[in-house]
Amino acid sequence: MHSPSLDTGHDKPNRLVLLLPLLFVVSGTLIRFLAFRYAQPDTDWTQYFDALCRWDCGWYVHMAESGYDTFPVPSRVSAGNWAFFPFYPILVGLIGKVIPLPTIVLASLVSILTAYAAVVAAWPLLGRNIRAYALYAAFILSGPLSFYFTTFFTEVMFVLLTTLVFRFIGRSDYLGAAGAAALLSATRIVGVFASLAIGIKALMDYRATRGTWRGVIGGLLGQPKLVLAIFISPLGFFVYVAFLNYWIGDGLAFSHTQRAWGRMIDNPFIYLWEGLINWPDNGALLSNSQILALAAVTGLVCTVILAIRRQWPAVVFCLFCILIPLAAGLASMLRFMAGMVPVTVTLATLLGRNRAVFAISLLGLIVSAWFVTLAWLGGNVALV
Amino acid sequence: MRLSDRSPLAIYALAAVLALAELAILWQALHPNVSADYRAYYIDRTTTCLPQPVTGAYVLGTELNFRSGGDETRELRPCGWSGPAGDGMHSVGETSRLRFAIGTPQPLTLMLELTGVTLPGPAKQRVVISVDGSKIGDIAVTPDKTERFTLAIPAKALGESGFANIGLDFPDAINPGKRVSNTYWRSVKLTAASLSPAQPG
Repeated sequence: MHSPSLDTGHDKPNRLVLLLPLLFVVSGTLIRFLAFRYAQPDTDWTQYFDALCRWDCGWYVHMAESGYDTFPVPSRVSAGNWAFFPFYPILVGLIGKVIPLPTIVLASLVSILTAYAAVVAAWPLLGRNIRAYALYAAFILSGPLSFYFTTFFTEVMFVLLTTLVFRFIGRSDYLGAAGAAALLSATRIVGVFASLAIGIKALMDYRATRGTWRGVIGGLLGQPKLVLAIFISPLGFFVYVAFLNYWIGDGLAFSHTQRAWGRMIDNPFIYLWEGLINWPDNGALLSNSQILALAAVTGLVCTVILAIRRQWPAVVFCLFCILIPLAAGLASMLRFMAGMVPVTVTLATLLGRNRAVFAISLLGLIVSAWFVTLAWLGGNVALV
Repeated sequence: MRLSDRSPLAIYALAAVLALAELAILWQALHPNVSADYRAYYIDRTTTCLPQPVTGAYVLGTELNFRSGGDETRELRPCGWSGPAGDGMHSVGETSRLRFAIGTPQPLTLMLELTGVTLPGPAKQRVVISVDGSKIGDIAVTPDKTERFTLAIPAKALGESGFANIGLDFPDAINPGKRVSNTYWRSVKLTAASLSPAQPG
């Protein structure tokens, strides 16, 4: 992952940067739509958005339409929707008050717009390298996991806001980063760890400027905007906790309700190892557990690469965003890794270095979109 | 006025206000104000059964079929059941509950038709049965064998609420896999139940 330029003019997207993702918006929509028609030939074409809305997507649709559950949960189950952070579904719900479209159609259109914005915003983080940029745009908008970013999941907003956080961090704009981090911390629980990335960047800046760690505490506290940024960055998280205090009487309901899903907290590396050695017994190349574990391993490998490059804010952010969910099991790990900007941007820059590798990777992304979308429509558990 | 134009003191004051607000929210989050049922299930984790509001609508003496395609029993099942399936209503967790409207407290007879699950585990599944929190007996259910169990409920075990809240605790509940939460452990399958006025004598 590259740092943005200190001269903001350098990072301004040119016409190619603005147009290229549109090509992938079209190709991605076409591939997913054709996969839908192939998988469900008897379903009316107008059901396209509904057909792609699977697993947690249904929870987000309900949240956008009806908000948060009371207690006891009206549907008389112990799984309350407090587990899901509010920013993106509530944003879609608010837009829905103005634009009267079916929620899933509106959410899908907002997601595609957000995904497009996230790709364009990532241009500086990709080193302003057109091959890396093309791969990243293809991955988000037309790749095998593009349905996460173009239906109704929080991942797309998480990607946009993480991109903004790291753009601001790259320029040592602590307040800008804190503003994006505040929204990020209301988007997914791990978003709150962007605060740590800002703190690490401040430490690195202090060391780079002074050449010593001496007087670091006073030096950091002596920067009023940094101090303010530290308390702004987790604000979205705290606002949600305050809401749950009011709504349910339990500010940590988002965590407590996980009990209903049967999640067990354990050593993340034990989960990882057990996933890796869980060989398939149905003739498949890889089991679902192995796919999920390999996604986490990919994230960890990219984190090591970031550490070798001394990109410590991204390293700390990645470690928390990988290990905290992993401590509750491998579920959704592929989706979580797909939404990790430092991981996917690093991969895009690596694969974009060589012309031949770039061409093969781009082709692989586009072709695999067809097969993975079919697996998604078929309810493959590894994609949950 | 831009933030950069403000005095450092004003910025520190704003940061202090935010810090205090966040501390207050955190303090409140660490001291939840919730019902006993909520606390037991979500926070203390002392039960796997979170009772849901049900009417308990029931005519005394009616035998109910808990298999799929059988009687509609949702309003009698506050928690701890999964189904119905073709082989009955599966218990989930370490406790399941039933709730029957009974009107005036009187001596009753509870009939349960149960089958033990066939997962690897003990030779018998013990089931401790209670009414309104008072134990009325325990039974042993054999895996893959359907049996009827009859238990007497004395009138004094019933409260004045007009309902009989039947608890089934499963001390031998089986963990169906590695690192599966006890909210998903398995024990018995319920295929039929009734609550009838006790025969005199």
